[in-house]
Amino acid sequence: HTPGMSTGCQSGCLTCSDYNGCLSCKPKFFIFLERNGMKQTGVCLTSCPSGYYGTRSPERNDCTKCRPECDSCFTGNFCTRCRAGFYLHQGKCLQSCPEGRAPNDAQRECVPECP
Amino acid sequence: MLAFFLMLHVLRGAHGAGAPLAPCPPPCQCQESGMLLLVECAECGLSSVPDSLSPFTSYLDLSMNNISEIQPEAFQNLPFLSELRLSGNLLKHIPGPVFRGLYNLKVLMLENNQIQQLPSEAPWDLPNLLSLRLDANLITEVPAQAFSGLRSLRHLWLDDNALTEIPVAALNSLVSLQAMTLALNRITHIPDYTFHNLSNLVVLHLHNNMIKTLGQNCFEGLHSLETLELNYNELQEFPVAIRTLTKLQELGFHNNNIKAIPEKAFLGNPLLQTINFYENPIHSVGRSAFQFLPKLHTLSLNGAMEIQEFPDLKGTTSLEILTLTRAGLTVLPQNLLEKVTHCTTLPSFGHVVQQSVRTLPCLDAHLSHPVFPCRDLSWNGIEAIHADAFTSLQSLVKLDLTENHLKVLPLEGLFGLTHLKLRGNVALSSLFRVEDFPQMRVVEMPYAYQCCVYGACSAHRPAAQWNMEQTSEEDELHKKAAALLPVHTYSYDSDVEEFQMELDESKLQTSVQCTPLPGPFKPCEDMF
Repeated sequence: HTPGMSTGCQSGCLTCSDYNGCLSCKPKFFIFLERNGMKQTGVCLTSCPSGYYGTRSPERNDCTKCRPECDSCFTGNFCTRCRAGFYLHQGKCLQSCPEGRAPNDAQRECVPECP
Repeated sequence: MLAFFLMLHVLRGAHGAGAPLAPCPPPCQCQESGMLLLVECAECGLSSVPDSLSPFTSYLDLSMNNISEIQPEAFQNLPFLSELRLSGNLLKHIPGPVFRGLYNLKVLMLENNQIQQLPSEAPWDLPNLLSLRLDANLITEVPAQAFSGLRSLRHLWLDDNALTEIPVAALNSLVSLQAMTLALNRITHIPDYTFHNLSNLVVLHLHNNMIKTLGQNCFEGLHSLETLELNYNELQEFPVAIRTLTKLQELGFHNNNIKAIPEKAFLGNPLLQTINFYENPIHSVGRSAFQFLPKLHTLSLNGAMEIQEFPDLKGTTSLEILTLTRAGLTVLPQNLLEKVTHCTTLPSFGHVVQQSVRTLPCLDAHLSHPVFPCRDLSWNGIEAIHADAFTSLQSLVKLDLTENHLKVLPLEGLFGLTHLKLRGNVALSSLFRVEDFPQMRVVEMPYAYQCCVYGACSAHRPAAQWNMEQTSEEDELHKKAAALLPVHTYSYDSDVEEFQMELDESKLQTSVQCTPLPGPFKPCEDMF
């Protein structure tokens, strides 16, 4: 029992403390540090929040920031949704679309050009 | 898309334009988003899907509840549903009809459940689904027809399951797939033509499996693949099957059991930027293995204990990071740095056999490349450095010579250093002058008295007070750092580190941080 340990951990937590939230997660959960000004609080999630991608490994499951131009991503180098002003093409968020494709602002994607 | 809006207007008209979009099923929380509804029921202790969901629901989060079964008609009346989250429940099986009619569903999240098998007779019919999360379940096999109704699927998570083989037949249906992870399963072999239909796949993760063998043509068909991860497997041989991956940029197969890298190993992968295969018992490397990789910027060969000869890097002209720690090199080529002209981190040879690397050659003038800010030569056996070794490296700012055998440090060319480490060079007893390093900010000396020139004991404070004040300053620093990293010692956040460095650097702006600090005997005075 860690001093300052909270008895009521948030679901998904393995150990936690009042001040820092989750310190470790149950298996298969991702640990994520929520920032509140200067303070960081640990939470355990089934998937990383938007703007982060999850990396599973036998010991730990971590959340890592996507590239700045991505709203969401599969890995550091593969985006699944772009920020406004960027258009998705094969996992890349581009400011302009390659030949044969046109930018679609609603989907933020490069879509096939109308023939 | 047009049909979607037409249907929305018709339904909205029939429903009464001003009327609320149907009551929010307790204990969920609902929020209107234009004409549609976002329904949030996460962590509500639900054991089944709430009834009376509004037909205008576009986002439904049912994650982290106790739902073990879904009623067949639970999602019947949700034509606009675009994202459905069911992660963190107790689901073992989801029959096909459950998802019937969800033609606008784009994201389906089923991770962290107890799913053992996917439906085969009546597979899910989700023609517009883009992302499917099935990670962290108990899936042992995927029936051949399981994905036949997912023709638009782009992103598939199947990691952290119990698959013993790659579901080849099922994957054949996924012609739009762009990113897939099958990591953390029990896959032992990849047969030939496993991915032959996945011509759009860009990212493939297979790390943390038990893969021992690869078919010679197992990656045939992956014309768009850019990232391949085979780390933490049991590969005995170099994966020659990668030769067909002409678009490959990132390749990892560290922590395997590969003993040799053949000649022309990466001939078929001219776009490679990163190769990581450290922690392999590599004893032979073909001389031409790393040739003609013009985009390669990172090559790490740590742990290749038995590499005797430095690889030939002809045509590999953009290398920035080359780490060869714990290699078996005994000789460094004279034109070493010619081979790695853009190197920002010179090869750190770590535990190279001491008697081999005695002298550091004179470095040629053309190496005064601006991108040459830091050099790590720690933990070698360097006894002498040529007087002009650094003359051409005016941009050098950090130099780590920790744990070598230096008696003298040539100062020529080190004018711009801001960080210098000399700890462990026991024979280096000479005193330096402040003027030798005008930009210095952080320096580690072999002996405390060498810090005196930086005013480490100029205020002649009585020793007790010196230590007290000194330690209180350090405590102050640690207290600030502790507030930022209270307990999550094992977790790491680059922002915090940046903040930490700014904290240190702002503190150091006026003084040079020199260690080891002189102690209570005030050697500075006693010495002069």
